[in-house]
Amino acid sequence: MAELSAVVAQTLLAVMLAPGLVGLIRWIKARLQSRRGAPPWQIYFELRKLFAKEIVISRTASWLFRAAPLIVFGTSVVVASLVPLVFIPVAFDRTGDLFAAVYLLLLGTFFLALAGLDTGSAFGGMGSSREMTVVALTEPTVALSIFALALTAGSTNLGVIATRTLADPGMALGPAHVLGFPALFIVALAESGRLPIDNPSTHLELTMIHEAMVLEYSGPYLALIEWASALKFFLLLALAANLFVPWGIAQSLAPLDLLAGFAALTVKMAILAVAVAVLETRVAKLRLFRVPELLSASFVLALLAVMSTMFVR
Amino acid sequence: MEGIFARLVVLAASGMLLTGLIVLWRKGVPAYIAAFTWQSWLLSGMTAAVGYLGGEPQLYLVAVILLLLKGIALPALLRATDRRFSTRRELLAYVNTETSLIVGGMLVLFAYVLTEPWMAMTKLPTRAALPVAMALLFVSLFIIVSRKKAITQVIGFLMLENSIALLAVVGTYGVPLLVELGVFLDALMGFLVMQIFLYDIHETFETLEVDQLARLKH
Repeated sequence: MAELSAVVAQTLLAVMLAPGLVGLIRWIKARLQSRRGAPPWQIYFELRKLFAKEIVISRTASWLFRAAPLIVFGTSVVVASLVPLVFIPVAFDRTGDLFAAVYLLLLGTFFLALAGLDTGSAFGGMGSSREMTVVALTEPTVALSIFALALTAGSTNLGVIATRTLADPGMALGPAHVLGFPALFIVALAESGRLPIDNPSTHLELTMIHEAMVLEYSGPYLALIEWASALKFFLLLALAANLFVPWGIAQSLAPLDLLAGFAALTVKMAILAVAVAVLETRVAKLRLFRVPELLSASFVLALLAVMSTMFVR
Repeated sequence: MEGIFARLVVLAASGMLLTGLIVLWRKGVPAYIAAFTWQSWLLSGMTAAVGYLGGEPQLYLVAVILLLLKGIALPALLRATDRRFSTRRELLAYVNTETSLIVGGMLVLFAYVLTEPWMAMTKLPTRAALPVAMALLFVSLFIIVSRKKAITQVIGFLMLENSIALLAVVGTYGVPLLVELGVFLDALMGFLVMQIFLYDIHETFETLEVDQLARLKH
């Protein structure tokens, strides 16, 4: 029972912290570009403002258009309950499967792409087509980097992978982890529409991917989608952080352990936020036809990670 | 201790393989030279580590020579060559980047299959790095045959040389010092000869693209 409430609390924590992470990255980016930038919590005000606005829906939109934001947000929240963030659930961990987590996130992307097509606007269709192109290229990489982790840990269960790495610290130095991490990191950036693949801060019609898909949304629906994509980004980074570098995560429900787990999560996410902000300041968006090059590079990294598990055996 | 040692060796070898794959991915000679420099530093560090943990003091000398020759001297020479002949950043290849990378991955798989019987025979703690070394060998050969610019092919040749040295270090803890020195000298001479060729090709055809060599002097 205590664990159930802990899982619920952990999920709520992820849902509440996720926009803050995106806001933090925006703030660090602004600072790096010598702008003052809005404070990291500005994004919460933006979400509140959007929730208070009215919804405008195109006459050609079907039920799919209304359902998609709820599905996207719902799947993200379900995944948040599966990922070990502050502590590793034991009894509730039967469902905490790496495949379940990744493909639930993909389900949200799928419905978002459908919603982009639904209203029949040219931008939505273009965004959906681009998003599907990128996702089709990232999917093999996600599956392979998962395989690499699962092969070293002997399980696809998220908690078990983290526990195994904790028990054998040398594993984190093994090639499966060292090669798998950049692969998953690149894919995380691609799937959440961050910079080298998609620019989250512009609405330039020639280049946008994610923004084009959600262009028709307004008010609370837009807020839900923005929140869900922030949550997705948070979860992908947390997944990368806690599976590849699990130290600090609580293995019991003792208050002190939980506090340490929370501190470790904060530190890890802050480091990743700085890394993403520095990366986004340094690199320009890739030309759309260059994206497959980057993604095939990450695919090869993941492939090598899988093969290295065979070498080391 | 042996476990950590084996992991470090595999890690360094994987790093060297990655620098080989970077050449398949990036465009531009400076990036290639940087990749080669990293690869040589990794090889030198690993040679010293194998010398320490395998109890082969002569490997220290090999590591120092590696560092001086391939880690410092050859990259400097390459940079000088690149400065003299640099035309445009975008480099041409017979195979596009995506396909090259996938082929690179396939070559690694092939190397793994090829070295499997060898892995089963040997009991060395460094044996896990054998397929990686073999993979680097194939990847460098692929770099040589798939790139159009002579200077990239030279870098491919130097990486090939690195991979053979890696194979010698992880497979047999280094060949006798005399042989090693001979190889170094050969590599250096080969590089200098190629340097002269590069210069001549550039003089005659005003380009370093080997495609252009098919036609006669204008």
